[in-house]
Amino acid sequence: MRLVLVALFASFSLLAQDIRPFDNEQQRQLFNQLTAELRCPQCQNQNIADSNAIVAVDMREKTYQLVREGKDRAQVLDYMIGRYGDFVHYQPPVNRFTLWLWLAPLLMLVLLLAVGAYRRASKNNDDELAANTPSASELDTLIDRYRSKKP
Amino acid sequence: MRKVLFYAPLAAFLALALFLLSGLFSDPRERASAIVDKPLPEFALADLMQPDKIWTAEALKGETYLLNVWGVWCPTCNAELGYLTELREQGVKIVGLYYELPRDPAFDAPFDLSVLQRDVSEKLTQNGNPYQFNILDLDRSLSLDLGVSGAPETFIIDASGIVRAHHIGDINPQVWRAKLAPLYQQWSQP
Repeated sequence: MRLVLVALFASFSLLAQDIRPFDNEQQRQLFNQLTAELRCPQCQNQNIADSNAIVAVDMREKTYQLVREGKDRAQVLDYMIGRYGDFVHYQPPVNRFTLWLWLAPLLMLVLLLAVGAYRRASKNNDDELAANTPSASELDTLIDRYRSKKP
Repeated sequence: MRKVLFYAPLAAFLALALFLLSGLFSDPRERASAIVDKPLPEFALADLMQPDKIWTAEALKGETYLLNVWGVWCPTCNAELGYLTELREQGVKIVGLYYELPRDPAFDAPFDLSVLQRDVSEKLTQNGNPYQFNILDLDRSLSLDLGVSGAPETFIIDASGIVRAHHIGDINPQVWRAKLAPLYQQWSQP
């Protein structure tokens, strides 16, 4: 019985063939990487590995074809971005539209530090004010002195 | 200064609310096309009805026209056929780029041109025929080069073969008047 099971599972692994044969392991990894980071232009927020939209199927085939031809990652990305625009890649380039994605967190940090510094400064002012304010007994003597001066 | 700080959170909230409000009215499918202002990519594809005739980018030059990506399997494309036919009657030249569905060899019947020709003729007789002719993009290679993400999509291509507009979605009277007609007029002028 055990032998039969072992034979059965062994046959499964033998049957597990690739639908897409590659020349080497690097090509397979490159293909998997590219289909994961290329975005389907038809469906919102799916990569072309996940999507079964017609255009995603075509892009997957094209990626496979280009990888088999020995194209590297940058060449395949250029090919797709040249046709479908920056939208198609999940890593947006830094340009005048996307610059804010990097700048906004920095600006927020600067603003936070500025507000913190301002608050600390105004708190110090309050302390100084408190230190310079005369106490109640001092005020009483001041008032007495003022009254005694009056005719 | 205190007063400014007091109103700062309210101002920030209003700015955020306005930003998000503008997002409600934006179309997530609207994006810059990579093909606009570039020449129509090179191709050599057969005419759908006369397979002996091979169309190339060069052969299409000479007149401004609409290149309409469509298929009989696509309901939105079928719905716009009527309005496109009206446009043809007004003198707009429209060329069809037939976007054939991929076939799964395990489930689908092999591609049969005569069946497709019959289906297309039937559909065009029913809904109106806006096309001067149809180019069959069987493996969707020209569509991929044009950056087509689905059907229907329409390109305006000028007389020298430069793509001047890329519209994703159907063409209806509103879209034509507001977006495509001005571009078509602009690029039709000699």
